[in-house]
This record gives sequence, C-alpha cells and structure tokens, in this order.
Amino acid sequence: MRIGIVCPYSFDVPGGVQNHVMDLAEALIGLGHEVSVLAPADEDAPLPPYVVSAGRAVPLPYNGSVARIAFGPVSTARVRRWLTRGDFDVLHVHEPLTLSLSMLAVLSARGPVVATFHTAMTRSRMLAAAQGALRIVLERITARIAVSALARKVQVEHMDGGAVEIPNGVTVARYAGAEPLPGWPGECDTGTGGAIGFLGRFTEPRKGFPILRDAFVALARQRPGLRLLVAGPGDADDLYGPVPADLRERVTFLGRVSEPEKARMLRSVHLYVAPNTGGESFGMILTEALAASTTVVASDLDAFRRVLDGGRAGCLFPTGDAVALRGVLAELLDDPARRAALTACGDQVVATFDWPVVARRVLEVYAAAIEATDGRVIDQEWVGLG
Amino acid sequence: MPGMWWVVGAAVLVGLVAAYLVWTAGRVERLQTRAESAARALDAHLLRRAAAAAVLAERRSGVELYAAARIALDAGPREREAAENDLTRQLRSARLDPVDPECEAVIAASRRLALARQVHTDLVRDARAARGRPLVRLLRMGRGHDWPRYFDIDDPTLPAQADVAA
Repeated sequence: MRIGIVCPYSFDVPGGVQNHVMDLAEALIGLGHEVSVLAPADEDAPLPPYVVSAGRAVPLPYNGSVARIAFGPVSTARVRRWLTRGDFDVLHVHEPLTLSLSMLAVLSARGPVVATFHTAMTRSRMLAAAQGALRIVLERITARIAVSALARKVQVEHMDGGAVEIPNGVTVARYAGAEPLPGWPGECDTGTGGAIGFLGRFTEPRKGFPILRDAFVALARQRPGLRLLVAGPGDADDLYGPVPADLRERVTFLGRVSEPEKARMLRSVHLYVAPNTGGESFGMILTEALAASTTVVASDLDAFRRVLDGGRAGCLFPTGDAVALRGVLAELLDDPARRAALTACGDQVVATFDWPVVARRVLEVYAAAIEATDGRVIDQEWVGLG
Repeated sequence: MPGMWWVVGAAVLVGLVAAYLVWTAGRVERLQTRAESAARALDAHLLRRAAAAAVLAERRSGVELYAAARIALDAGPREREAAENDLTRQLRSARLDPVDPECEAVIAASRRLALARQVHTDLVRDARAARGRPLVRLLRMGRGHDWPRYFDIDDPTLPAQADVAA
C-alpha cells in the first residue's frame, strides 16, 4: 500500500506526536508498505529517508505550549505537490484540527483520509468558535482514530463523530534489549537496598513527584541502601532542595534524557513509580516501563488502570496518598516473587502495544477508509494482515 | 456614473452566490456518493462475516450458529439489523480460539465489520447533516439520491481475549 503521513509539528523538536509518526512509519515500512512522511523541518536538518520536508516551521503559541508549524500559500503548494507525486492509496494526517500542514493536506486531498487525534482538549475555545469551518475539514475525513479513551470521548461529545481507539505503540525490542546504567539497579534484599525510578517534569504538580519524594524520604530512613533515580527536564536545585541533606546522596539526577538513555534508565530500577495526580490521557511512560520489564507502581487513575489491566500488570495505589505509596514500595521491594509475577503479566500486556501489532490495527482502519471511498472490499492479504 | 457601480456590485454578488451554490451542490453530491460507497462496503463485510460464521458452524455442526448465519445472509432490508444482532450474540456465546484458522477468520471478519460500521455511521451522519441544511432542502439538492440510512446494529467486535482465558 502507498501511504502518505502528515505530521503537523517539526521534527527539529522532540515531541509525542513526532515520535508516534516516526515509529508508525517505521513499523509500516517493516510490514512492507511504501511510506512517505511530510513534516515541517529546516532545510539542513538531518531527516530519515522517508521524511519529506515541507519547509521551515514558525513557532506559534498554541494550547498552552509552543508549537512549530507551517501554514500558508507556500506550504499549500508543497502539500499539493507532495500529494500529486506520492499518488497515495491513503492519506493519514495527525491532529488535523490545528492550523498546520495536516489541515492543508486534508483540504487538498481527493482520496480516502484517515485522521489521528492525539490531544484530549476537553473544552477548546477554538473548537467552539470555529465549529462551522471545522465541519468542512471534518467532512473530508473518512475514518478517525483516537489514541486514548479520553481523546475518543472528545471526538464523540464535541465533534459528533465516532473514532476507533488505537493506543500509542511502543517499540518493545528497543526497551527489552537496553543495557542498565553502570552500578544499577544494585542489590535488593529483604529490608535493604532497591532502586526506584521516576521520569518527567518533577516541578509540575500534576506529575505528582512530591508524593513519591515524601514516600521515598520516609522509607529511606528505615531501609538502608534504597536509592532513587530521577530523569527529566528541570533544575537540580529544585529536585534536591526539599530532600533532607543526609539522604541527598541516595538520589541520582540524570537531567533530560534521550530516547536510548530513557530505555537504559527504565532498565536500571527495580520499581518505576508514576505518582501522577491527573491529566494523563494515556500513560505512555507506563507502557515503556513495562516494555523494559520493570515493575510499575502507579496512582489509581483511569488511564493507568486501563494500561495496567486493572492492576494485574502493575501495582496501583490511591492517587495522591504518599503513605499508601510507601507501604506498596516497601512490600514490593521485599517480595521478588510478586515483582516477577507482575512483570510476567506486564510482558503480555505490552505485547498488545508493540508497534508492529498496533500498526496492523492502523492498517485495518486504512482498509476501512479505502473501502468506504470506492465501495469495494480489500482482502486481508493485500493489506498485509494475512 | 453611480449606476454602473450598482451593476458591477450586483454582478459580483450574483457570481459569489452562484459559486457558493455550485460548491455546496458539489459538497452534498460528494458526501452522498461517499455514504453510498460506505454502505456497499458495510454490506460486503456483513456478508463476509456471515459466510465465515457459516463455515465455522458447518465444521462444528453448530445448528444454532449455522441458522443465525443463514438468516443473516438471507435477511431482507427490514429484518437485517435484527438478524445481524442475533448472529453477533451467537458468535459471542461460541468459544472462539484465535489459534484455529477458521475461528480467526470469524474474529478478523468481525473486527473489520466493526470498523466498516463505525466509518459508515460517521459518513452517513455527515451526508445527512449536509442534506438537512435549509438551503440544500430549499433548492432540493441531492434529490437524485435517497436519504442515507443508518445501519443500527450492536458493536460486533468479539472479546477474543476473554474467550481464551475462559
């Protein structure tokens, strides 16, 4: 199948949508399909061979953060040229309701269009104000995909349309084969040792790092050798400041990490903790920790419970409760058999999030979109599903 | 000559209205055609699922499943929604092992049918919304087509995982 994918955000800046697009494109190529990705990028930026640059992106504040996007007559001409040259069987756009290449591509497309919605904006002013104009964009979309139950809910309630829920994928092999950092995770016996990990913006309240910090400080006093490994953007002083001076040497800070370092970091701990207090629509990091065969402890949020199969693939604790978290951590660190059971179930769960598996489900949506456009049914084999 | 500006203004206005009407008519036509294609694809997927279920029922000599598949295949437009729901119920109560190729065929057909149903519902909704607009009704655009109809059936996805665990 010839597939054209449009990414609205520049590959110069790392981000969830960009990673999703690259991993999906690589998985589809791995399944034997022809894929071309159109994305904004600087002229001299190093790009994978399947990416076509649509020119420079301009920074624009959007939805609380800065998005680098391309929009305008020059971009329109480039999108049209790419569509004509590509002669795609199906066009797959991401986030088509942002003013971006994705929207331009939808408006210029002639054939079947599949759209993926990533964000779960519950009440966007833009959506409410431009309902009529957005109809014209939405009308051209043949099939919709939502990456989380929350994103799907927004589709159903605010844009009166259904969407197929297909989760974010994770390249399991990349995590399962990663080498732990030197000296980690170290010893973990009854009442002593153990390594706990946290990844994310520890200064952002909804990530819940203070809950983990309180639990760690209380537990570390009773448990010699317990260590905490933290990675994420932020200032070291903000991290160490609230930690008592005698425990600071037991907290290791990696700063912002690259994708390969992230995999190594997740392999370097006995327990990965996600103490988030809300606002997570999917919980990508949990699937990554599961892929690294690390035991997961997470707050009892809907999204997390879903990924962890109701608590079979990881331990859930009451959201925001540092005392409960401390209890769960102490118990799990003393019980290697329980950890092994959880990771064994985690391996099964994460297999359903593996990119090749997820990409096959996306291919079925492509097939449905093509069929709905010309009314004929495509064989499983032709789609590469056989 | 102020009179000439009136003429030019009126001509531009008429041109704009005409362009809008042509565009709207094209839009209605496109959405109608697409909803009809989606209905044909949905029909094909319904037949495929029923055929896969019949093959499975024959091998297992499952009388009720075979009857449900047969009824779904032969149902007229009026009884079809109920017949398809019956078949979904029969398939849900059957034990399907995804390792077995004939069971897998039924599971895959159900999954593809679920997608076809979802897409069809969305496209019918779009077409009906476009056709229901006052201007479109007034000018009787798209009258060459029947009003697109929803096909209202339960979600035919089969819980494959749960069956394996059982």
